[in-house]
Amino acid sequence: MILMTARKTVSELCAQFKKIIAEPGLEIQRVKAEKPVRVIGFLPTDVPEELIHASGAYPYGLVSYEGIWVNRADAHLQTWACSLSRCTFGMALAGKFDYLDGLIIPLICDTTRMISGIWKQTRPYVFMENFVLPRQVDRPSARSYLISELGRLKACLEQYMGRSITAEEVNRSISLYNKNRALLRKLYRLHVLRPDLVPNLDVFNVIKSSMLIPKELHNAMVSELINAVEQEALEKKADDAARRVRVVLSGKVWEPPAVMEILDESGAVCVADDLCTGYRYIANDVAEEGDPMEALADRQLKRLPSPCFVNRERDRLEYLVNEVKENRAGGVVFLHLKFCETENYDYPLLRDSFFAADIPSVRVETEVGNVSHGQISTRIQAFVEMLGGDEIYGS
Amino acid sequence: MAASQPFKTAGLLKELMAKYYEQGSLARERGVPVVWVTAVSPVELVYAAGLFPYYPENFGALAAARKVADQLSLAAEARGFFSDLCGYARCGLGDAYAEEHPVGKIVQPDLLFCCNTQCGSLQKWFETAGRLYRAPYFLLDAPLIEKAPTTLIKSYFVEQIQEAINFLEVATGTPFDFDRLAEVIDLSNEACLLWNEILDMAALKPAPFGFFDACFHMAPIVTWRGTKEAVIYYRELKKELEDRISKKIYAVPDERFKIYWDHIPVWPRLRWFSDLFAEHGALVAVSQYTHSWAYRFDPRRPLESLAENYSEVFANQGFENRIQLKINFMKKYQVDGFVLFSNRSCKPNAFGLYDKRSIISERTGLPGIVFEADMSDLRYFSDEQVRNKFEIFFEQLANK
Repeated sequence: MILMTARKTVSELCAQFKKIIAEPGLEIQRVKAEKPVRVIGFLPTDVPEELIHASGAYPYGLVSYEGIWVNRADAHLQTWACSLSRCTFGMALAGKFDYLDGLIIPLICDTTRMISGIWKQTRPYVFMENFVLPRQVDRPSARSYLISELGRLKACLEQYMGRSITAEEVNRSISLYNKNRALLRKLYRLHVLRPDLVPNLDVFNVIKSSMLIPKELHNAMVSELINAVEQEALEKKADDAARRVRVVLSGKVWEPPAVMEILDESGAVCVADDLCTGYRYIANDVAEEGDPMEALADRQLKRLPSPCFVNRERDRLEYLVNEVKENRAGGVVFLHLKFCETENYDYPLLRDSFFAADIPSVRVETEVGNVSHGQISTRIQAFVEMLGGDEIYGS
Repeated sequence: MAASQPFKTAGLLKELMAKYYEQGSLARERGVPVVWVTAVSPVELVYAAGLFPYYPENFGALAAARKVADQLSLAAEARGFFSDLCGYARCGLGDAYAEEHPVGKIVQPDLLFCCNTQCGSLQKWFETAGRLYRAPYFLLDAPLIEKAPTTLIKSYFVEQIQEAINFLEVATGTPFDFDRLAEVIDLSNEACLLWNEILDMAALKPAPFGFFDACFHMAPIVTWRGTKEAVIYYRELKKELEDRISKKIYAVPDERFKIYWDHIPVWPRLRWFSDLFAEHGALVAVSQYTHSWAYRFDPRRPLESLAENYSEVFANQGFENRIQLKINFMKKYQVDGFVLFSNRSCKPNAFGLYDKRSIISERTGLPGIVFEADMSDLRYFSDEQVRNKFEIFFEQLANK
């Protein structure tokens, strides 16, 4: 007898991911209630999650924000720090991350570099480590240093977890994470082809949720979603009337999430991005052969260009211009957090590079928690309208 | 100014700095590559390679002290740079676009050599300038030292110094001269030692010299460090200070209090602050900032020693270490209170000060304040707010 279980629709499945983001700690708390596990949080996203996973702890990304806590950190952190750091730290102070046993902060800018000490002072967890990344990534010294820094972090994790982490365990975690990234890349491609089925908000929700629940579970959920999308894509022809404008997004995070809804409503489809909680999280894998620690270092060094790391071999300006061309995008939307210094230094010359290449761009200044929905909406809509609807999605 | 009589060496300083800027233009004419360097970086390598090191931060400080930082900043802002970037960077980038050059034109780089031991802002400023001027850029990367210095960070830094030497060799087309490096390091050492001795004189009670004087006299230890000019200058200054001690000429006429000032001055308000403290019989005796150039190199281990000195400066230390360093200075100079400057231009120095203030007061029993301003941009300066804050501080000092 064949048991027929009702197949969930794409939108039903997407709603599950949305729910995870709305209550980000739920799944991890459920796991914790079942068995004694340690949860190690990390700030997005330049951290070797595979190592945390291999140690037996659960990596948990501090990537879902409740804007009301932005001001909670004011007694400890100046208001001209970016709202991302203020909100994350404010949420910690408000006890929103009390289910964490540990926290790893990647030092990628002056704010992350300084906040770790304040955090440790005011709201310490049992395990608190910085991941002290090299800020130049294209010279041999960066590689040898990073391999050793990963070794240091591994030793700290081993000490905290009271066990050694074998190469085999790291390899297993690497495989699991590669699988996750491959699935997410596949979903991203499907989104670009069929934004009517997988709109911007949903694909980015799925990526973000990957940092909030166990990877094994996430892989199963994304596989199910991909199957459903493929099935529906066959059943339902793309709606030709729905012309969408192809855009590239650039910035650190897509906060507030309303920006994705606005893009969807405006008829824009994000075809590529370099966001930490977007494609940059899934773009490249860790090699599954050779020494796993070296492989982890190599992945980090070869991640998509970011304003936080100096890379003379692969300059961000050139890289982004090529991304637009290769993905046949009509323009670029910068999602820049107010007070994000690294982006603010890059912006004028980046804008000029796009201008020189005849690529229209618009900068949208965002803040976690402070949703000036109307203003963002007006800017994005005007931009998308200006780009026009020449491109039919999927064409 | 606090000292009623001007320093004799002030004339020499003026000459020396004029000569420095002249060398910049001469270098251009003679085809000697101009290398942009950061204030806390192993400039010894650049001098040893026979290149001209140019300090854009010094340009920023100069513009700020002459109260034109806002004007230059606007030129950068008009091009899309943001007012929340480092004030020095806004001056440097602004001058590149500006029609008018109120402190002379910033010298264009042939190479850029940046050490991020002070901050990530310099890393981005130099990267941006590298793109703007299309010049090769080298970042000497200093990972944060959270607790004790580690072999890991030191070897990484040494390896990068070797890469930097290759970078300079490629630029000059000549092999790096290690003998010359030894000479340069000796000269740096001598100037740094003198500078340190001079700063220490502020611990005397009363003292002939304080932080605001140090801010005035620090340009050569930054820009001429590694040359005989710096050595000559600080020998002269030291002599003059010894002379002042014997003649009982003090920085603040009736010195009642000594103060620790954290970090950089508010350049366009240097005089304003100096007068404010003097009015209350307070001498700002010490700051981590001016001690940033009190290095001690070991010429027998040149590269390791450069790595230790430049990667372990206070600006590259973690939260607890920084508190300890501040307290050490407070004890050494026996201060009566402390002032922490929450500088909008400088996240790495500003972030954490709110907590540090209470921690330091708890541990030392000293009164202290945090005030908000910008080191160069007066748009972020409120005379009234700052003055009110300091009045309360002076009352606390008086009631101690």
